[in-house]
Amino acid sequence: MPIQVPGKRYGKRLQSSKVFGKGTHGKKSIFADLLITPLVDMFVIIVLFLIANFSATGEVLMMSKDIQLPTAVHVKDLDLVPVVMISKDQVLMDGALIGQVAEIVKSDQMDIPELEEKLRELKKKTDEMHASVNDTSQQSTAGDINIQADKDVAFKIISRVMYSCSSAEYGNINLAVLGAAGSDSPATGQKTASATP
Amino acid sequence: MAGGMDLGQGGKGGKKPLDTAINLVPFIDLMAVTISFLIMTAVWTQLGRLQVSSAGNSAAEQKDDENKTPPLTLMLTATDMKLSVGPTVMDPIPITRDPKGAIELTKLETQLKDVKARIPDEQQLTVQPTDEVKYDDIVRVIDVIKGVNIDGVSLSPFSS
Repeated sequence: MPIQVPGKRYGKRLQSSKVFGKGTHGKKSIFADLLITPLVDMFVIIVLFLIANFSATGEVLMMSKDIQLPTAVHVKDLDLVPVVMISKDQVLMDGALIGQVAEIVKSDQMDIPELEEKLRELKKKTDEMHASVNDTSQQSTAGDINIQADKDVAFKIISRVMYSCSSAEYGNINLAVLGAAGSDSPATGQKTASATP
Repeated sequence: MAGGMDLGQGGKGGKKPLDTAINLVPFIDLMAVTISFLIMTAVWTQLGRLQVSSAGNSAAEQKDDENKTPPLTLMLTATDMKLSVGPTVMDPIPITRDPKGAIELTKLETQLKDVKARIPDEQQLTVQPTDEVKYDDIVRVIDVIKGVNIDGVSLSPFSS
């Protein structure tokens, strides 16, 4: 036991505590060890999740901030076909502006001439392309088209677009929707809906 | 010891160690690249379609002509829905909405199920919305119709 100056003495535990400025062993190290094991675990789980979510179909529709799609449960898979986009203000066909909704609605005509003309040109090009490769299958001549419309758009404009599509021999119209939770598997059922513009 | 041979302790003495250290650095690099690629190509929104075809071309319509089931028509206005089976018009259903603004279709579904139970072969229904009806409401109605196994749904403008 060391020789100490006579006087008040504190307990050993208190003497070695931070109260008297002791207990810290100099400066703390600024280096931190990187824990590799949980990092690798996290990476593996993220990769497995993303692989399960992977789709080779690619981008079928361009999602626009102007268009909020409605939701549906009994849906089929979306195919890569020409798209007519109908927002609250504009009608676009494969990205090209067709007209303003306000002007189209004012017109008494049931069809949209600009849209019909573009669709006819597209149909002609498609048919020529299929003919050049001697593709006479029914799929090549089927007039499939997607309509991507905002959920608040009135039926008045939808009916005009559908009429124009049917006039241009694009009679198989598909209404693009968001698949709601519990949506049907595309492999089951042959449910269809037909339109009379 | 006599007869023995001293192999010594240094140098290559003893068994070779069987443990090998796995280098995790290239594995982590691979994971990082894979994650970056998959995040860029991931599908975050599930899209689907409700198929629509022009009247007269639908195979379901031709089949219906052969089966000769009474035509079903659903007239959809901004205020109510009226389902008619042939000449018989069922009770109109006033349109109500939930707190989110979505149209409530429980009564319509009940009427459709009742019709389907009475006429199991019924596969065709024509929806006739008025011009001011919203696209969202039309899609929800078509979705409900398909949910009761009526495969062919026609869409045409309302004609009074």
